[in-house]
Amino acid sequence: MRRHRWIALAAVLLAATALLLSLGEEAPPPAARRQVEYPRWFDGPDHRRQQARATLALPRPAGGRPPAAGPEEPGEPEGLRDPFLVSLPVKEGGMVMVFEANALRHSRLGERFIACLEARRPGDLAELEREFGVDPLKDLDRVAFLDDAVVLSGHFQHLKWDRLASARHSTYGRDGRVYRDGAEWIAAWRDQLIVVSSSEEGVHRAIDQLEGRAPIPPSGIDENSTYGEVYGVIPGAAARRLLGGDERGIGSKLASLASRIELHVDAMQDVAAVVRVQGTDAGGLEDLAKTIGGALAVARVKAQAEGDREFADLLEHAQVEHGGASFDLQLAIPADRLERWFADCERPRPPPSEAPADP
Amino acid sequence: MTRVLHVARDLLREARARRWVLALFAAATVLLLAVLLGLRLEVVDGALAATRLFGGTLGGKIQAADVALRPLFQGVAYLVFYGGILFGILSCADFAPALLAPGRIEHLLSLPVRRAELLLGTFLGVEALVLSGATYGGLGLTLIVWAKTGVFGWAPLAAAVLAAVAFSAIYAAMVACAVAVRSAALSAAAGGVLYLLGVLASYRRVLAPLFTSGASGGVFRALTAPIPRFATIADQAAAVGAGKVLDPAALALQLGGAVLFAAALLSAAVALLERKDL
Repeated sequence: MRRHRWIALAAVLLAATALLLSLGEEAPPPAARRQVEYPRWFDGPDHRRQQARATLALPRPAGGRPPAAGPEEPGEPEGLRDPFLVSLPVKEGGMVMVFEANALRHSRLGERFIACLEARRPGDLAELEREFGVDPLKDLDRVAFLDDAVVLSGHFQHLKWDRLASARHSTYGRDGRVYRDGAEWIAAWRDQLIVVSSSEEGVHRAIDQLEGRAPIPPSGIDENSTYGEVYGVIPGAAARRLLGGDERGIGSKLASLASRIELHVDAMQDVAAVVRVQGTDAGGLEDLAKTIGGALAVARVKAQAEGDREFADLLEHAQVEHGGASFDLQLAIPADRLERWFADCERPRPPPSEAPADP
Repeated sequence: MTRVLHVARDLLREARARRWVLALFAAATVLLLAVLLGLRLEVVDGALAATRLFGGTLGGKIQAADVALRPLFQGVAYLVFYGGILFGILSCADFAPALLAPGRIEHLLSLPVRRAELLLGTFLGVEALVLSGATYGGLGLTLIVWAKTGVFGWAPLAAAVLAAVAFSAIYAAMVACAVAVRSAALSAAAGGVLYLLGVLASYRRVLAPLFTSGASGGVFRALTAPIPRFATIADQAAAVGAGKVLDPAALALQLGGAVLFAAALLSAAVALLERKDL
């Protein structure tokens, strides 16, 4: 009899086990988080994107510096180039930073940002389009920031120039138009490119480069460096100008050791950034990499202690990878955390409470 | 309850005298010493700047030490969990058959100890042995990493506790098998089969649709329904190592399932022992 009691107990417990474990299976397992992928190479999709953009048959400037080595005679067209990159009026030792505006707009970060903007200031973007004739979410492709110029690419055939600058303009070269707006000079080329510069020489040079009358300066961004949604180059001289202020700080050490700093940001899912520092002093760069790694770890602990969640999130994926005479500083914000940051922003705000109507 | 604890204490005393158990502890000690002497971790201001194992460099990344060590703690959590259970199956397979050996069981039953208390005491003694073995390995490695980097990871300790809970289900099956057929080899085989079934059961949602016949799929689902999900529990231990936030309700369901399963099989073992004419 006692034995039967034990058997009955075993059966009941086994049934209870099955029931309990089946409860645990009803909830879907949490999706495994993807490993953050840092933009470190020019890969297949970047190559296809670059090929699609190579539409400019550039004639070889007579007596000028050839844009690329090749057997062609002066005046003969070269292989197709990306007009946006060709147009950049970079000065010797100047910096360039390119934002892939259209790609950023369709990235997860961009989607969240636009949703946030629409929730906070509804109608602003539509108003902008009515005012200037250009929808920044559709018509703008890329924006490059240089030391004293900004270059935009996109579809500008509907741009209301009279809203931007004086409607009077002069033609320049085959396809260029130059406008004046106070101290700024604005050039349009084939309604594809807009160059804004503080000097007339700057906008002229951009058009000359596009039409083969001026050599293309070594901007530092060749076609193979155009990966990510944000990318750019800060040459050593520019780094020293930007970061050399604090003699004892990391910025000053970085400026003194770096011959070139390259930035690439991938924002399509996670936001992942790589800052590549190159120099000639391998030992000095390794020490600097360790110093930066330590500073990031200390900053993360401080952010955690002070409850600065966003900064702590950013620094959690921070790492420095060194090898030879260069190192990569890598930072990332995983997509799920990005969603969390924007969650409050996108929530529609309650309408202001109405004042009670007077009787 | 005192009588149960007496049986458990006797089992631990017996384990201490066994060379096989001591050899497993010695192997774990050698492994820990190798890690202690061979692993070099260079920490600069809280960042792990360099890792060298027996002189070879492992990667060139500099990262906050606690973040950089997460994969290590995850790996150690899996090692402690699966290794701890394997240690338990290998080192404890002989205890229940030895308890039931002719002459010894009659002697034990002549004492004022119930059959159920005898089995429960043996079960608890083995559980304590496995918990201490897994904790020894896990905590040892944690302390080595802590001494070298200043980072204390809870994952190996969590894995040791979770391994002990998961092993309770396995050892209950081993006890039931030993009571049915007094053989250390069969007892270990029963533990090994349940170990594998527990890993398979963790993926039953993925595996069940692979059965082409509806009947075989149903049999698979029915058979694996009460089996504790060992891989799911191991993943929870590793999640502690990865710095993720655990879902306490989900973990409680898994651990509760393992404990209930163990209780069910222990009850079956008691029923079998009651039936024996000893």
